[in-house]
This record gives sequence, structure tokens and C-alpha cells, in this order.
Amino acid sequence: MLRRRHPTRFGDRGPLVVAVVAVTGLVGYPLVRLAQSAGGQAIVHAWHTPGLATVAWHTVALAGVVTAVAVPMGAGLALLLAAPGLPLRRTLVAGVLLPLVTPQFVLGYSWGQAYGRAGFSDSVAGVHWSGLYGPAGVATVLVVDATPIVYLLVAAGLATRAQPDTERAARMSGASAWTALSTVTLPLLRPVLAAAGVITFVGTLESFAVPQVLGTPAGFATITTRIYADVALGGDPATFDQALALSLGLVVLATVILLPADVVLTPRLRSVRTPQSAAVRLMRHRGAGPWVAVAGVVGYLLFAVGLPSIALLAAAVTPAIGVSPTPGNWTLANLRGLLTSTTGTELAHSVELAAAAACILTLLGTLVAMLGQRRSGRVLGAVATLTLVVPGSALAVAVLIAYGRYLAGTLTLILLAYLAKMWALALRPISGALDRLPDAERQAARASGAGPPTAVRTVVLPALAPALAGGWLLVFVTALHEVTMSSLLYSTGSQTLAVAVLNSEGLGDIGPTAALALLLTLLVVVAAGAAWGLFRLATTASSRRTGAAVPEPLLEVAGAR
Amino acid sequence: MPADDARTPALRCARLRVEYAGRPAVDDVDLAIAPGELVAVLGESGAGKSTLLAAVAGLVPLAAGEIWLSGRQVAGPGRDVPPEHRAVGMVFQQYALWPHLCALDTVAYPMRRAGQARPAARARAAALLDQLGVGHLAHRRPAELSGGEQQRVGLARALARDAAVYLFDEPTAHLDPQQRLAFQAEVRRRQRAAGAAALYATHDAGEALALADRVAVLVGGHLAQLAPPAGVYGHPASIAVARLTGAASVLDARLESAGTGDGAELVLRIGGELVAVPGGPGITGAAHVVVRPEWTIERGPFRGTVTEAWFHGAHTDYVVEGRFGTVTLRRSGQQRHAIGEQIEWGLARGWAVPTGTAGAGQPSAIVAPG
Repeated sequence: MLRRRHPTRFGDRGPLVVAVVAVTGLVGYPLVRLAQSAGGQAIVHAWHTPGLATVAWHTVALAGVVTAVAVPMGAGLALLLAAPGLPLRRTLVAGVLLPLVTPQFVLGYSWGQAYGRAGFSDSVAGVHWSGLYGPAGVATVLVVDATPIVYLLVAAGLATRAQPDTERAARMSGASAWTALSTVTLPLLRPVLAAAGVITFVGTLESFAVPQVLGTPAGFATITTRIYADVALGGDPATFDQALALSLGLVVLATVILLPADVVLTPRLRSVRTPQSAAVRLMRHRGAGPWVAVAGVVGYLLFAVGLPSIALLAAAVTPAIGVSPTPGNWTLANLRGLLTSTTGTELAHSVELAAAAACILTLLGTLVAMLGQRRSGRVLGAVATLTLVVPGSALAVAVLIAYGRYLAGTLTLILLAYLAKMWALALRPISGALDRLPDAERQAARASGAGPPTAVRTVVLPALAPALAGGWLLVFVTALHEVTMSSLLYSTGSQTLAVAVLNSEGLGDIGPTAALALLLTLLVVVAAGAAWGLFRLATTASSRRTGAAVPEPLLEVAGAR
Repeated sequence: MPADDARTPALRCARLRVEYAGRPAVDDVDLAIAPGELVAVLGESGAGKSTLLAAVAGLVPLAAGEIWLSGRQVAGPGRDVPPEHRAVGMVFQQYALWPHLCALDTVAYPMRRAGQARPAARARAAALLDQLGVGHLAHRRPAELSGGEQQRVGLARALARDAAVYLFDEPTAHLDPQQRLAFQAEVRRRQRAAGAAALYATHDAGEALALADRVAVLVGGHLAQLAPPAGVYGHPASIAVARLTGAASVLDARLESAGTGDGAELVLRIGGELVAVPGGPGITGAAHVVVRPEWTIERGPFRGTVTEAWFHGAHTDYVVEGRFGTVTLRRSGQQRHAIGEQIEWGLARGWAVPTGTAGAGQPSAIVAPG
């Protein structure tokens, strides 16, 4: 729905200048430096390093496979769970969304503990999956990780479509439930499915933790894990040139896939939302059908999330490798091991970084969102959103080239990378809330005698408060478990908790790693829970205004991944 | 599906009950519609109109009762025929056209589902669109059609089904007044031509009275009255029905003497004056008298003060207060009485209903538009 807005007049060019400087300094300059550095003769040479092309090919193939599996799975779950009559529906939805609040590293590591050699299933039942460490395992866990995001996109697409009653109309025209699905529902979902595909593909391209945990031990490398090996573990100029080449390649790859998709998909995704969009009633579940469906979903959840979580817990309370995780062997030693000053420092680093990034980006996000109401600011908002898809590994390398010589080894360097990567996270909820705020409310305040600052303070800010807090928490949660960029930019004095978990895993300390992973997950779950609550608040407030559909907060939380 | 014989109702509902989360949305509804008959379902939003239609269509399950279409039971204990196997066509409030299909394919859709080949279905769809005056829009998608055009396509899609009953779920709610009139005329023509029955949900009294052969008034999920338009308007079963079917003032009254014989008038005292009006059954002692604005005349026993005046073009409505309470009077032409002026009026007609019937809470005048 196009609404003509009156320009929001607050201040002069000051905010615009701040925002432009921020975008240029955080994203533009590092990427330009990356392109410059990676354009040289040495880099062309680097591409001839044996195996580098294979790594690139592996990455693309992995992204293709994960997309091909995760999109149908997420869409199927969304269609299944959209039926109102399904028993235990809310519980199942919560279960499907669970991987969203599990850091990728923890998910991959838990799977290793659950189904790997000497893992939980091995010690309990003598069964393990030998392919878990390698491409098959990496792809499987990435599918588990991506499915909830596809689910959210499709569920939102189902709930917020412009035309309600379309399935009912098909049934009234003589179509069976399945015919209605294939002739009406799926064709209408095509743009959403395409978007989900693009998001999954790009997300897999830039995924680091899962390939690192499950791929690297088996010698299966992706671009991101290779960059990590080159930068964090290597040390000579030749490997750094390789990292530069791979980083640039990754940026180009993501951009090539995303740019046309973004142009094509963005307008359609912002479809008109009519008040009272009807819930989709594809099937009225009758008989045993729903219970079969429920059993299927529950089985999947137990396999994908339940057992790995138990395995992680078991590993955290088991003293050493090979000791079976039975109650008699349980120990709190690993958890007690967390109470060291090192862990404390790392935790403090993580929280400081996350809080700083959240505060700065909430301010910047508000600035850009308000500018976005004007024409000049809209471009800025689009650029900020695009930075979300610049792969973290490449962005970290770019930041390292641009600012490493001044800031090497400091937390500030990591903070810069967080700011560059995550500010769309704060921007989107805030600009969304601003968009939903009817102009008339501000105009009514002005017509009631409020000056522009007073109108913002008394009418705009109260309506925006939940979105501001939500945006803050979203950045906070994401930064808290960020590992891709931190692992490339940290040094001895600036290790974060997530990096500590990664390094601990690299050393093969199972118990302590599991304990650290638990701590990390706990932090993320608590913060994500708070974010979720705030978004609920924000959207119920705004849906009371506009009748907008509910699942929007979920999308915002999903955006954090 | 043609009726077995002319006497088999196209639609019969018996003791119909639909529940949402254990609370009845439609309760104890008995209804039979003959082939060719159009029954309007009139009620406020939330009265159960859409639920009743959805139950007939098979989109919501019954909690109790039975539904028969042309003599074939489609819903009842142990029986629930899915929507695609019921002989019904439906027109939706928000059109419910498919954004990815053009008008031609939309109208061809039901015939394709019925097993016709694509060329035949398209040919008939084109003919249907032509009959409805939107043949030239056959290749447009919904986004390129106006509201009125979309609803014509929606009507064509419903007609493309060989139905015993057509269901209209407030089809004109989103149309502007001119499109509304054109659409209503089209519905009446098509439905008469098809000889099928129709159930037409609306909250607009004017639309219900003008279109329907009979009006089913729903109040709180219950069928409050089922009668021809003149019946629900002239002899409403309750205050609630009176208010739903048009502008009505309600005056407090007391029964002085009952009439003798069938349909005889009752003698009632209103604000100290005696009047004779007919009424429904069950009146003893206290009663209410329904007065439509045009049932009043310029001479009579009542005197009151004009408190409001509304000029509507052809006539002017005056709200008048006095010992009788508050009443709305209709006089032709421009405003002739000033606010605060004392005027005299009398009753040409009236209709008494017992107190205690549903919705008899506030005996005050209601000024309805028109």
C-alpha cells in the first residue's frame, strides 16, 4: 500500500552526514580496500594454489544441496502447522523454532556429541554415523539450522497474503485439498519460496561454525573455513593472499546471487496486508491424520534438536572421553571449570562488545530509519540492509585490511566488524515500526499544539519504544554468539566467549567445550527470549493500530541468524 | 444438481449448531429454501451470518444438526461431505480472487475441477464473463480490476459451478453504492435465470428487503424471524428484529384492552393517550410499540418538541420528544419545523411487541440513515 508521506523534518543535514560517514567508514572503505588488495598480481597467483577452486566449488555445491532440502522441508512444516485443527500446534511451532536460538556452533557440536564416534548414540546404543564428519554431516546440520528460517518466511507469507479466502474459494470451486494446494497455495507462495531459497543459499555460503566443527576434521573445507585457516592459523603472506582472494570471491558470489533476487523479490515481499487476513484453512484435520503428522514432526524434532541437546548436556557432565554418560559418572567438574578468571574475562568481552554494538547500532538504526522516511535516506537504508548479506568472513578480512594496522588485537577492531555486519538488524525493526506508525498520529499531535520535538517525544517514541528495545536485543543476541568474524580478528587480549568455545573444541577438550557451549546457549536463549517478548509487545501494539498480522517479530528474530 | 421435484428444498438446515471453542456461533437454526428462492440472512457482524454460510459450504464442521442439499444429506451425525463435493457456489466478501490467475482462468477453474477440458472450460468462462458484462476484462488479473469488476468475476466463478445453492457472503460490503446496485441487479437476474436457490448474507437492511424473497434475521446466532420482507419490516418479531430491518422508534406502552378475533387491533396507552395498533402474540400488560418514521401522520393525539431535524432530500426526519418518549417522524420535502418547535403527530400504523423479547433493553428512538 503506497502511502504518501510528508517529509519528516527533524534537524538539518547533520544526521544524514553522520549516517553517510558511518556507512562509508564501516562498510564502504573496508570493502574498497579489500578489492584493491585482492586485485593485485599476487592474488591472481593465489587462485592458482591447488585446491582453492575445489574449496569454492564445495561451498557452492553445499549451498545448493542445503537450499534444495531446507526449502521444501520448511515450507512443508509451515503448511502442516498452518492448519488450525492440529493438536499441540503451539508446542510444535515452538519446537520447530528452537534451532533459531541455538548458536550454529553449538548445534554442530551437539550433533557431533550425539551421533559421532564415541558420541551419545555410540555409547548408549553402539550406533554412530560415520558420515557426520564430512560434507553429508555439514549439509544435514545446516539444513536443520536453515529449516526454521524457511518455516518462518513461508508461515508469514501464508498469514499475511493480500487475498484471504483463496483456498476456500478453490474448495468452493470443486478443488480437493491437494488440488487447492497445487493450483492456488503453492503458486501464490512462489515469491516467498524464492526468497527463502536465496536467503538459505547465501546463509549457507557464509556459514562458518558448522563446516568448521564437522567439516574441517574430515578435511572438507569451505571458503569460510579456509579463510579461517589462512588468517587465524596461517601466518605467511602467501596464505593471507589466498584469504584475500577467497574473501573477494565470497563477496562477489553472494552479491551476484542476491542483487537480482533483491531487486525482484523486495517489492513483492512487501505485499499489502489487509486487516483480518484470514487464517489459512487448507485442511480440516480429521481422523488419525493429524496425529500421524504430529508424530512425524515430534520425531524430527527429537532427532534434530532433542537428542543433540541431551548429548551436549551429557558431555558437559561427563569427566572424560570414553566415560559413558550414566548418572554414576556425572560430575560438575566441567561446569565448575567455567568459574575461572579466563572465562570471566571472555564473558565480559562478549557482553561488553555486544552491549556496545547494540547501543551504537540502535542509535544509528534510528537515525537511518528516520532518514529512510525521506527519499535521500532510502538509499542509505537499502545499503545498510545489503551489508547484512556481505559474508562475515569477507567483511572481517576487509576490516582487518582497512583498520588492522591501527587497531590490531583490540576489542575495537571486533566492534567495528560487528557494527558493519549487524546494523541492518537494528534498522529493520525500527523502520518497520516507523512505517506502521500512521502519519495521522503525528499530525494529530501537531494539530493538538505539539511542536515537532514534542510530537516525537510524546507520540512517536512511545510507539517506537518496544521496537527500539527489540532492535537493541537483536544486535545484542547476535553479537553475543558471533564467531565467524571474532575468530578472525581476536588476539590473546581480545578473546570472546564464542571464540573460546571454538578454540576449546579445536583442542579436543570435550567436557569443557560442552560446558562453555551450554553457557553460551543459555546467554543467547535468555536474551532472545527477552527480544521475542518485546517484539510481541511491539507488534501487538501496532496490530492494534493496523490489524497487521502477527508473525513479523519472528521474522525479525530470524533476521538475526 | 437439479431438484428431484419442485417440492424438494434446494437447501434444508435442521437444528443447525456450529461452535467456535465451545461457544455456539450459530444455534438451533431451521431453514428450508425452495429452488429459485433467494433468502437474505440479515444480522449484525458477529451474529453468525458468515458461519451459517460456511457451514452450508462445508468449510466449518457442525456441532449438531443436519444439512441437506437438493434432497441429499451433506452434513449431519457421522456425515461431512467436503466442500468440493457439495453442490454450492460461493461469492466472498473480499472477492477471494486468485492473484496469479486472470479472470478467464479464474472462471474456468471450477469447470476444470469438474473435469472439463481446458478449451471447453475457457469457452464457457468467456461466455459467462460476457453475460456479466466483463468479457473484455477476461485476460486481466485481479490487481488490474476495480472492486466492482472483481466481484463480477467472483460471481461468474460461483455461477460456473453447477450448484443447488449459491452462497453470498456480504458480497457488496466493499463496493461503492453504484457498483452495489449494479451487482444486486446482476445477482437477481442470474439467480432467477439459473433457477437455483441463494443464501445472501448482509448487514444492510435495504439490501436484504430489496433483494430477498424471504429474510432470515439472525440475532446472536439464533434465527429471530424468517418471513417475507414485508413481514419482517411490518411485523417484526422483536425489538431487535425491528431495529435490524430499518429505522424504527420504540415507544413504551401498556395494554388497555385486547382486541377480539384474529388479527384484531390492541388498545394501548402510550404517554397518556390511547391508540389502537395490531401486535404480535404474548402481549400482556407492558408492551413496546414499534413505529417506523413513515408510519406517522401530521394530525393526532401526541404533542412533542422537535430536538433534531435531518434533511434527506426527498424527505426530512424529525426527532421529537414528549410524554410518549422519543420518536422519529418523517415528513416529505424540506425542513418545515425548527428545533424547539412544538408539533402534533399521530400514528397511521404501529406494531406492538411484548416486552422482554430479545433486545428490548432501551426504549429510545433510533435514527437510521435514509
